[in-house]
Amino acid sequence: MPVAPTLTSYQIEDVDRGEVLRYLGYRDQEVTPELDARLDAAIASCLAIGHARASIAVYDVAGREELPDGTPQVTLADTALTLVGKSMQRHMAGARKVGVFAVTIGMGVERELKRLSLTDHLGQVLFDAAATTMVERAADAAEATLVGMAAREGLYTNFRFSPGYGDMPMQTQPVLLDALDARRRLGITLSPTLLMTPTKSVTAVVGMFDAPQPSTHASCADCFCRAFCNLRATTGRTCHD
Amino acid sequence: MTDATTKTPAAGRTAGKNVGAIDTRKYFGTYDHRTLRVKDDHLRRVLAGQDLLLFDGAMGTQLQARGLAAGEVPELLCLTNPQQITQIHQAYVQAGSEVVTTNTFGASAPKLGDAATVEEVFSAAVACAKASGAHYVAADIGPTGSLLEPMGTLPFDDAYELFAQQVRAADAAGADLFIIETMADLAEAKAAVLAAKECSDLPIFCTMTFDEDGRTFLGTTPEVAAKTLSSLGANVVGINCSLGPKDVAPLVRRMLPWSSVPVMAQANAGLPHVEDGVTLYDIKPAEYCEAVRDMLDAGVTVIGGCCGTTPAYIAGERDLLAGRTPVARDVCRDFAVTSSQRLVSLPAGHVGVIGERINPTGKRRMKEALRSGNYDYVMQEAISQTDAGAQVLDVNAGLPEIDESATLRRLMADLQGVTNLPLQVDSAVPATIEAAVRSYPGKPIINSTNGKQETMDAVIPIAAHYGCALVALTIDEKGIPQTAEGRLEVARRIVAATDAAGIPRQDVVVDCLCMAASTDQSAPRAILDGITLVKRELPGVRTVLGVSNISFGLPFRPLVNATFLAAAFAAGLDLCIINPCQQRMMDVVNSWRVLSGEDQSAQAYVAGYAGRSDAAPATDAAAAGAAAAATPAAGASAQGQGEPAPAADDPVAQARAMVLAGRKGPMPALMHDILATHDVLFAINDVLIPALDEVGVRFEKGTFFLPQLMASAEAAKAGFNTIKEVNDASGVEVASKGAVAVCTVKGDIHDIGKNIVKMLLENYGYNVIDLGRDVEPQVVVDTVVREHLQVVGLSALMTATVPAMADTIALLREQAPWCKVIVGGAVLNPEYAKMVGADYYAKDAAESARIVGEILDQ
Repeated sequence: MPVAPTLTSYQIEDVDRGEVLRYLGYRDQEVTPELDARLDAAIASCLAIGHARASIAVYDVAGREELPDGTPQVTLADTALTLVGKSMQRHMAGARKVGVFAVTIGMGVERELKRLSLTDHLGQVLFDAAATTMVERAADAAEATLVGMAAREGLYTNFRFSPGYGDMPMQTQPVLLDALDARRRLGITLSPTLLMTPTKSVTAVVGMFDAPQPSTHASCADCFCRAFCNLRATTGRTCHD
Repeated sequence: MTDATTKTPAAGRTAGKNVGAIDTRKYFGTYDHRTLRVKDDHLRRVLAGQDLLLFDGAMGTQLQARGLAAGEVPELLCLTNPQQITQIHQAYVQAGSEVVTTNTFGASAPKLGDAATVEEVFSAAVACAKASGAHYVAADIGPTGSLLEPMGTLPFDDAYELFAQQVRAADAAGADLFIIETMADLAEAKAAVLAAKECSDLPIFCTMTFDEDGRTFLGTTPEVAAKTLSSLGANVVGINCSLGPKDVAPLVRRMLPWSSVPVMAQANAGLPHVEDGVTLYDIKPAEYCEAVRDMLDAGVTVIGGCCGTTPAYIAGERDLLAGRTPVARDVCRDFAVTSSQRLVSLPAGHVGVIGERINPTGKRRMKEALRSGNYDYVMQEAISQTDAGAQVLDVNAGLPEIDESATLRRLMADLQGVTNLPLQVDSAVPATIEAAVRSYPGKPIINSTNGKQETMDAVIPIAAHYGCALVALTIDEKGIPQTAEGRLEVARRIVAATDAAGIPRQDVVVDCLCMAASTDQSAPRAILDGITLVKRELPGVRTVLGVSNISFGLPFRPLVNATFLAAAFAAGLDLCIINPCQQRMMDVVNSWRVLSGEDQSAQAYVAGYAGRSDAAPATDAAAAGAAAAATPAAGASAQGQGEPAPAADDPVAQARAMVLAGRKGPMPALMHDILATHDVLFAINDVLIPALDEVGVRFEKGTFFLPQLMASAEAAKAGFNTIKEVNDASGVEVASKGAVAVCTVKGDIHDIGKNIVKMLLENYGYNVIDLGRDVEPQVVVDTVVREHLQVVGLSALMTATVPAMADTIALLREQAPWCKVIVGGAVLNPEYAKMVGADYYAKDAAESARIVGEILDQ
C-alpha cells in the first residue's frame, strides 16, 4: 500500500562560515572588516529568511533490470520512480530500501536573490553562497532523518546522491518531485530544462542496507548529520552500532 | 452565444501572444456584463451569495488509498480505469456533494506528455463525473507546475495558452463550472482566470493555497488574493489545501471583507502521518466540521474538502448545512489596489501618496536610463520612493525612441523584485496599457482615461475587463475646462461610462488637472472647487492630483506645491502624485494626517517629528548618510590590506586606496576633492582606471577573491557616479567607450556571473545594456541590430542551457554577423565555447573586461 511522504521542517540556526567562504573561492586572502561584516549580514539575513522544509519517503526495492538499450535500472515498490543508470546500479547494489527526499529553503530566499540581483550585486554573491551552504545543511538534516528511519528498521544507509550527478538522469526530477508531492507541499517548480525553483532546493536518494556500508559513518564525532540526529536519544544506539 | 471558442478577444488570437493587437473597442460593455451560462437557479443563487453549496473532498488521497503508486499520473486513470474514478465521485455524491470535481488537476499538455491529449482526458474525466449522478460537474484546473516569469521562466502568455486549452476542453466536454485551485502564484491564478473568462462563459471558482505564515509560497496574502481575483472576474474566491481547517479559518476570515463575490474553503484534513504502513490524517471528521462551522458563521458560503478528506467528512459538512442559510457579511468599499504581496487601501478620509519619479518627462537621468536599458537608476528611484513613504508607484516609459510597451512590461517585472508597492500603469496608448495590466500580478491603477469619447471607448473596457482602478482626467475634445463646474461635467460623463461598464465607483479616481497659477490665478480655486464638487456630485468616486504644475513659472516652487497640496487635502483630495523624496511634500502629508484624524493620537507624527523644528530641519536620510560617509577614516581606511595608509591630504592616493580596499562610503567626498583641482579625464584615467587595473592584477594572482573584486568595483562605481553628477551639473558629456549587451541565455535564471561582468564593464566606462536572464535569442539579436553593437556577452550556468547559447549565436551570425560574441559561465570552457560558435571564452569577469577592451578600443 503506498503511503504519503513525510513532511518535515528543520530549524537551521547557523551555517559554517568557512564553508560559505569556500563557495566564494576564498583562499586565505586578507579581508577588510567591512567585507567581513557584509558577509556576516548576508548569512544572518539568509538564516532569517530561509525556512528549511523537506518531503521524505522510503520505498522497497522491487527489482533490478535492464532497459531495452542495456541501461541498468532499479525499480521501487508503490512508486512510478525508477533509478536509472550505472551510478544508481552501483549506489543501490544490495540495498533493501531507498530513501528519497526533496528539501528547499523556500521562495523567500529566491525573492531576496532576485531583489539583490537588481540592487546589490556583491550582496547577491554573498547571499547566494550563504543560501547554498544553508540548503546543503538542510539536505544534511533530511539525510539524518532517513538515517534514523533506516536505523529503526535495523538498516544502514550510505550517502545521498542527486539527479544530474554521475549518469543519474535529470529526467528523474519530475517523477521524483511528483512522488513526494513536492510541488504542492514545498512549492518546488521545474522549468522545461528541469531546473528547480526555488533554486536553493536539493533532491536526492539514499540506499538502505542490511549491513553497514563503507560510507556509513564510523563515528558521531565528525558526522555532518550530527546536529539533526535524534537516533541515540530515541533508540539508545547510533547508526553505526 | 453557443460557441464558447469564438466570442472572446483571446480566442481571436492565434497564439495568444499578440496582446497589443486586441481591439478592445469591440468589446465595450461586454466584459463586466459577462453573461454567465449558469446551469440552474440554485447555482445562480450560490453565485449571488444567497445559497450555500457543498463540493466534494480529496481525489488524490482517495486514489492513493486504492493503490495509485506515488508519482504516477492520476489523470490517466480517467481513460484507463474510468469505473474507479466514477466510484470515488459516487461515494461523494452519496455523502452529499452537490458538486464533484473532475480528476484533471494536472491534466495540462506538458504533464500529460505523449500519454494522452488534454481534450481526451477532460472528455473522459467529465464523463466519469457525470456518470456519478452529481448535480454539478466542476472542471478541475491546477497549476502548470512551472514557475512564471519574472521569478521563473514560463511566460505569462504561455501559461495562459495552457489554461485556455484546458478551459476549451472542459467546456466542450460539458462541465458546469471551473474550479481553478491550489494556486500559489497570483500571476498564474490570473492567467487561469483570464483563460476561463475569455474562452468560456461558465462560472469561475478560484482558490489559492496558503502556508503557516499566512502567505502563499510566492508571498500573496489572503486579502490580496481576494481583492485581485474578485476584481478580475472570478465568481467565487477562496482557499484550498494549505493546512487543516482550524488554520484555514483565520485566513479565510481575512479574505471575506475584500471579496465582492462568495468565498469558499476546502481545507486539508490536517497533516498526514504513517501508522502501520497506512497513511492517516490527523484531523477527524467531527473536529473538521467544527472548524468549518466557524467559517460558515463568518460568512463562507461554499465548502468541501482537500487532501485527506473522505466521504465521511463531506457527510459531516452536509449535516452542517442542513437548514442553514448564508450569513450576511460586509464587503469593504474602500479604494484598494494590490501588488502580489501587498494590499493598499484608503478608507474614507485617508490620503494616499503615489510616487511620480519613474517617468522620463523632464528627467534627464531617467531618460538616459530608459534609453540605455540600464535600469539600476530606475530601481533606485523605486526603492527611495518606497522608503520615503509612497503607497503606489507610477510607472511611465513613454519615450518616442524606445519600445514603450516592452520597456513598461520589463520595468514592471523588475520593479516587483525591489518593491512590494502596487503600481500605476501610466501610458497614453491603450494597447500598451492592456499589455501591461494583463500580466501584472495584482490590481493596478490605470493612468489614464479622459473625457474624449475615443479614449473612453478604448481604456474603460480594459479597466473593466482586468478589474483595475482607473484615473479619469477632466479633459475632453474641447480641452481642460476653465471652471470647477466644467471639470465636473467631464467627470460626470466619464463616470457614467464607468458605471455602465460595471466599474465600482471606488475604483474611479478623478483628476481635476493642475494648471499653473502664474498664468491664471483663478486656476487654483477652480481645481480645489472641482475636487469638492466631484466628490459631492459623484458619490463614491475618489480624487487624485499631480500638484507640481501649480507652481510652474514661479520661484521656490516646492513651497507653492506644498501650500497647494494642503489646500487640496482640505478640499477633499484622496491621492496625490508627488515626489515623496521631497521632505517638504511628505511633511504636508504627514501633518495633514494628524489634522484629519487619520493618524490616530498623532502616533506616527510624534514618532517621526519629535526632534524636528525649523532650527533642526528635515534630515534627509540620504544626505545624512552621505555626510557620515564623507568623513573617510583615513587611518583605518586601508587596513586589512597590509598597506601603509595614504596621507589624509592626498585625495588621489586615498581614492585609489579606497578602491583597492573596496570601501565605497568615502568615495563621493574624495572624488569631489579631486575634481576641485583636476578635470574629469584625470579622475577617470589617472585615478579610477589604474586602481581597477591593480584590482584586476590582484584578482588574477589570487591575492583578491571574488567578493573583494566586487567590493572594489562598487567603490569605483561610487566614484564614477560622483563624476557623472558633477558632469551633469556642468553640462559636459563624458564620452562612453562603447556599448555592450550582456544576458543569461534562454532557459537559465542564474544571473550572478552576468551581474559581475556587468559591474566590471561599467567600471571601465562601457555602456552596458543588461538584457536580464532567461532571454530569447531574438531579443539579443534585435538589441544588437538596433544599437549597432560590436560585442555581446552571453552567460550560461547549466549544461542544459548551453544549447540555448548555441541558438543565440547562430541567430546572431545570421542577422548580425559583425557582432563578436564572448561566452562565460560555470559549465563553459574553451572547448564548449568553440563548440557553440563563440568568438571568445572568458574564464572570469576580469577577462571579459580585457576582451571587450580588445574589441572596442581598437
